[in-house]
Amino acid sequence: MIVEISHFLSLLATGLFFLAGYFSLFVSSTSYTSNLISRTYSQAFLLLASSFLIYVWLAVTDNFSVEYIANHSNSALPIFYKVSSIWSAHEGSMFLWIVFLSIWGFIFNIAVNNNDILKPKTIGIVSFILVGFLLFLLLTSNPFATILPIAPINGADINPVLQDPALAIHPPTLYLGYVGFVIPFASSLAFLINGDSNIKWEKSIKKWSVMAWVFLTIGISLGSWWAYYELGWGGYWFWDPVENVALMPWLAATAFMHSLSVSIKSSHLRIWTILLSILVFSLSLFGAFIVRSGIIDSVHSFANDPQRGLYLLAFIGIIIVTSVLLFISRFSMIKPSSNIKTLSKESFISINNILFGTLIFAIMLGVTYPLFYEYLFDQKISVGAPFYNAIFIPIVILASLFLFLSVDSKWSRGITIDLFKKPIAFSAIFSIIFVITISFLFNTTDIFILLSIFAGSLIISRYFIEIFRYLFNKKYLNPYSAIAHLALGLLLVSISFNSLLSTERALNIKLNEYEEYEDMKVYFKDIKLIEGSNYDAVKASFNIEDEKGNNFNLNPEKRRYFTRGQITTETAIHITPIKDIYLTIGDQLDDGSWIVNIQINFLIRWIWFSAALMSFAGIMLIFSKKKSNI
Amino acid sequence: MKILLKITVLLIPIIFIFMFFFLLTEKKPYPGADYKEFPIPNFNLESLYESEPLTNVDLRGDYIINIWASWCITCRIEHPYLMNLKNKRIPIIGINYKDERYDAIEWLGRYGDPYDKIIYDFKGLLALDLGVTGAPETFLVHDGVIVAHYQGEINNSIWSDVFDPIIKEKEMFK
Repeated sequence: MIVEISHFLSLLATGLFFLAGYFSLFVSSTSYTSNLISRTYSQAFLLLASSFLIYVWLAVTDNFSVEYIANHSNSALPIFYKVSSIWSAHEGSMFLWIVFLSIWGFIFNIAVNNNDILKPKTIGIVSFILVGFLLFLLLTSNPFATILPIAPINGADINPVLQDPALAIHPPTLYLGYVGFVIPFASSLAFLINGDSNIKWEKSIKKWSVMAWVFLTIGISLGSWWAYYELGWGGYWFWDPVENVALMPWLAATAFMHSLSVSIKSSHLRIWTILLSILVFSLSLFGAFIVRSGIIDSVHSFANDPQRGLYLLAFIGIIIVTSVLLFISRFSMIKPSSNIKTLSKESFISINNILFGTLIFAIMLGVTYPLFYEYLFDQKISVGAPFYNAIFIPIVILASLFLFLSVDSKWSRGITIDLFKKPIAFSAIFSIIFVITISFLFNTTDIFILLSIFAGSLIISRYFIEIFRYLFNKKYLNPYSAIAHLALGLLLVSISFNSLLSTERALNIKLNEYEEYEDMKVYFKDIKLIEGSNYDAVKASFNIEDEKGNNFNLNPEKRRYFTRGQITTETAIHITPIKDIYLTIGDQLDDGSWIVNIQINFLIRWIWFSAALMSFAGIMLIFSKKKSNI
Repeated sequence: MKILLKITVLLIPIIFIFMFFFLLTEKKPYPGADYKEFPIPNFNLESLYESEPLTNVDLRGDYIINIWASWCITCRIEHPYLMNLKNKRIPIIGINYKDERYDAIEWLGRYGDPYDKIIYDFKGLLALDLGVTGAPETFLVHDGVIVAHYQGEINNSIWSDVFDPIIKEKEMFK
């Protein structure tokens, strides 16, 4: 009964969202209609939010007459996981995705004054997008379906790899990021529909974009962290297709924010900015399509259903083609009146746009080419890390060099970049010495790694000089830019050192014996069967003595969950600031020894710390009172 | 130049959309699927639970035949989907294949029984006549004639790609 109320509220919300969209795009705009649109949207949102809250309540109270809850939850779960079970599969996570989309629209709706000329159209576009997705949810992936007349006594349990705090918050954070770009997208379309090139729409969406970008950054990092310690992947990035479809909107969003800051200043790069706003949202939708159509097999894929894929493709296709046609028809309106000055800040950002665009295109090819190739020639090919590394490393290094030079550049005017100016020369000399030292110290001539360290070191030292000058010479410093770019430098250096120094090995160890690896003694103390609340497990116990004589225990496990029979690997990680010692246990061999996989991961924490630092810069900007630049 | 930019910007998404359309609508050939029509062979076997005799006469109308055994791991994976079919009121005749009667009954007790009738085929006689090579396998039967046969686990996509077209064509399960 209660689930029908929730279902009905969603249907009502769909109808109201349609009305809001219809009023804004097909009824001539007056102050009366803009109030009406705003109110209709808010009411629709409240209905949808109530529907979702009721659904959460159904999950918390173990209402297994709801088919989706019966299939993905269990009465033995803690409340936290009963709630997160909602987004553990397709229907519920789509529901959450839509609710988040509507939340962004709602906050925009109450934050922006009804007199704002672009607001009604923006809300209208958001509403129509919501209608499309709600119809998708209700027609092809109904989370409200019930098992009647007899409901099962207990649910089938949540997928065990999802019973993890990081994973419970990874999808919602990522979704908030993905759908957050609906605001910049809808605003730029509203601007194009309106047709008045004098409207300064860019300024009002800056914080929205940064906020969505922060969520996207945190969401991707959480996913990376979770794959490392929970899935036992043992690294931070795998160029998995679904990682890639999350990285594309992130890159587009990063380029978009930079381009936006130019458009705010001087109305330059408007073509780029609008195109990028369309691209970010299209890529977010593309991500949803890839994950939910079942086209790609991955840890993230939901059950395969061609019907869903076709609906999503059609809907996303309409959104993208309509917005591109709108862009083309208004092309003359957004054409810049003057050219950008060479070596101005604008020029560096436009170079950045081109480089990021290239990266996105490369990933797009990497994701889709194997699919298309198999379709056309019936042969499987795989595109993996070597392809992405070959493209990413040079372009990222190039972008970093331009970033390094751009620190000295000014808005709207070209400068002569003097390579012998003190800060540039100092950073360059410091970085060269640093890289040469590294090269000798670790005995490496890997040009890509050394160049990446060089690029990272250039950025870090250059920004440190700026911070120094800010503190002692009161020179102007954009703190958000400085922190975010320092984080980028740190990311480059951490990734380089991680790939330079990290090692792994599979050891065969018998009980009560030890193996030596990298100056460490790995002693196999104990192995026993243990029983958890919903699984049984083999738990091994190792004592490790490192090169300095420090002792510590690591207890990796292999678990088998009762309800699904799924086997998962529980990693054991010893964390130090510089390196992680990472153990997973494999199978037992015939001679009684166990396969133990040991990894030493250098600076891997620093990779996630860099991402956190970038997000922190974004958060600072969101909460800043001053109107500053990105 | 400008016109070139406009065309490129429009063409790139359209090309991608069409490629994905073809990918999604591509009919994948299923190696386990077979559409040879032949009548249900004559048989005289026992039912699993009551050990009563079962023959062709006991099977009527439209139904599916599912070959399973308690020793078959894939049958365990397929099982929830069969329960799902049962909820949709699709009659399922089980053929318990080369199995111990006690194990089979216990298996059904533990996981649930999706079958309307179960034929106990310890020696695999009926299965041999049906052309079964292992478990699980599933047959679609229309008025005593087998119209589709699938070797391997059935699931939602197999059902909609292999069986659904025939079900619609022959207007079965009305």
